[in-house]
Amino acid sequence: MLKRAERRKSAPRRIVELCVNGVWRYVTVEPRNALVDVIREVIGLTGTKDGCEQGTCGACTVLIDGRPMLSCLTLAVDCDGKDIRTVEGLAEGGKISAIQQAFLDQGAIQCGFCTPGMLMSITSLLEENPKPTVPEIKKALEGNLCRCTGYNAIVEAVLQASDQGVLPVTR
Amino acid sequence: MILYDFDYERAASFEDASEKLRGLGAGARVAAGGTDLLPNMRTEIVRPATPISLAALSPEPPSLLPDGSIRIDALTRLAALENFALVRTALPMLAKAAASVAGNQIRQMGTLGGNLCQETRCLYLNQKHDYQFKAPCYKRGGDLCYPFPTNARGTCWSVHMSDTAPALISLDAQVEVHGEAGIRRMNVESLYTGDGMSPIQLAHDELLTAVVIPRAPARSGWGYCKSARRGGLEFGIAVIAVSLRLDETSGVCRSARIVIGAVRERPVRLVAAEEALTGRAPDEATLAEVATAAAKELNPLPHHGFTKSYIRDDVRIKLRRTLESAAHKARGR
Repeated sequence: MLKRAERRKSAPRRIVELCVNGVWRYVTVEPRNALVDVIREVIGLTGTKDGCEQGTCGACTVLIDGRPMLSCLTLAVDCDGKDIRTVEGLAEGGKISAIQQAFLDQGAIQCGFCTPGMLMSITSLLEENPKPTVPEIKKALEGNLCRCTGYNAIVEAVLQASDQGVLPVTR
Repeated sequence: MILYDFDYERAASFEDASEKLRGLGAGARVAAGGTDLLPNMRTEIVRPATPISLAALSPEPPSLLPDGSIRIDALTRLAALENFALVRTALPMLAKAAASVAGNQIRQMGTLGGNLCQETRCLYLNQKHDYQFKAPCYKRGGDLCYPFPTNARGTCWSVHMSDTAPALISLDAQVEVHGEAGIRRMNVESLYTGDGMSPIQLAHDELLTAVVIPRAPARSGWGYCKSARRGGLEFGIAVIAVSLRLDETSGVCRSARIVIGAVRERPVRLVAAEEALTGRAPDEATLAEVATAAAKELNPLPHHGFTKSYIRDDVRIKLRRTLESAAHKARGR
C-alpha cells in the first residue's frame, strides 16, 4: 500500500476496473499513480520491476491489450477496462512458459532485474511472429536494457523458444 | 518516485478536449501517449494541474483523400503506422522515420501527433531539479542557463528531437489543428516557433488532430537517416530527411527539400542547399558539394555531448549519403 503521508491531500480517487492476468479487479487509485505502482503495491504482483521511471530501461514492460507498454509511463486511471498481462501471467498450470524455460536454459538471466520486461516484450513478439529472425528480435528488444548479459544469451533464448535450432546449453 | 499530485480528466472527443482546455485554463494539458509528457511531469519541467487524457479516443485508419493526399490521424501509434499498407507503400519515409523512434514500447504508446508536439530537450533541463547541481534554468523559471552561461536571459538552447517532423516537412505535409474556431490547416514547418522556451506554435486550446501528406509527384525520391550512437532507443545526433524531384526528361533536379532535425530548437530547412541543388544533375560530385555547403549553412546547437563541429561533420557525410540514396530512388521511378 501507498504510505499514509503520500495519501494525504490528494485529488479525488477513482475506482478503475483492471483485468490483471485474467482476473478482474476493482482498484482505487489516485490520478497520479503509475500503473507499475498499482500493480506492485496495490495488487501485490512484484514481478514487474520499477526501474528508471523515464521510459528508458523497459523493466516495467507489461502487455496492455496485448501490446508491450511501459507501466511506469502509463497512469493507472487511463487503464480502466483494459486487459493487463504481467510476468506472473506467463506460467500456465504451474508450468513456466517456453520462453521462460529458454531463458533458464541459455543463462539469459544474471541479476534478473530486466528479465520480466524482456519476457513480456518477447511474449508479444512471439505472439505476432512465431519465428522471428535475429534482426527482428533485436528490433523488438530495443526498448529493454540489460546491463549483465550482453544480450547474446537473450537472443539465443528467443531462438530456442521459437524452435529455430538453438538447443539448451548443457554443462 | 511518486508524481506530484494532480487531477485527471478524460476527453470524449477532440471537441471535448478543446472545451476542457478552455474551461480548465492554463493548468490543463492534453496527454496522448504520455511518453514525453510523463517523464517531463516526473522531472517537473511541466506541472499541469489537470492532464486531459485522450486514452478514450481511438484513431481512424489513414485515408486517401480525393486529391491523392493521405490523411493520418494524429492519435495513430507510431508502431501502428508501418502496419498500414497505405503508409508502407505511399509513405515509406514516414514509416522508416516512425520505426526509428526510441524503442518498441515507446512506439506502441507514443502517437504521431505527440511526436510532432514533443518538448525540446537539454541534458541539464531534463533532470529532476533535486539532481541539478545548480539553480533551475530559464526554462524552469530560474536565473541561469547552466550549459550555455553566456546565453541572454530567457533564451533556451534546447533541441527538438522529433524523428518524424523532418520527414513530414520534407514531404511538405500539413497538420490539421482543432481549436475553438474549428479546424485549420497549417504547414508542419510553421508548427515550430524556433524558441526553446515554447517550441510549439499552438494556442492553449488547440490540438493537433491529423497530418495530411500530399501525393509524391512522379520521379521523386526520398532519403532518411537518423544518425545516432546506438541503433535503437536513442535520440538523434542529427535527423536528416530529403525529398528530391527530378525532371522527367533531362534528369536534373527540379526541386529539393532538405530538412535536418535534432540540431536546433526546431527542424531546420536548408534553403540555400536546396537552391544550390535545383537545376543541376544530381551526380556524385554535385551531391558532395551540396552536402558540404549545407553543413556550413547549418548552425547546430551542441547537444547530448556532441560539439557543433562534430554535428557539422556528421551532417556533411550523412547528408551526402542520404542525397545519393534519394537521387537513386528518384531515378529508379
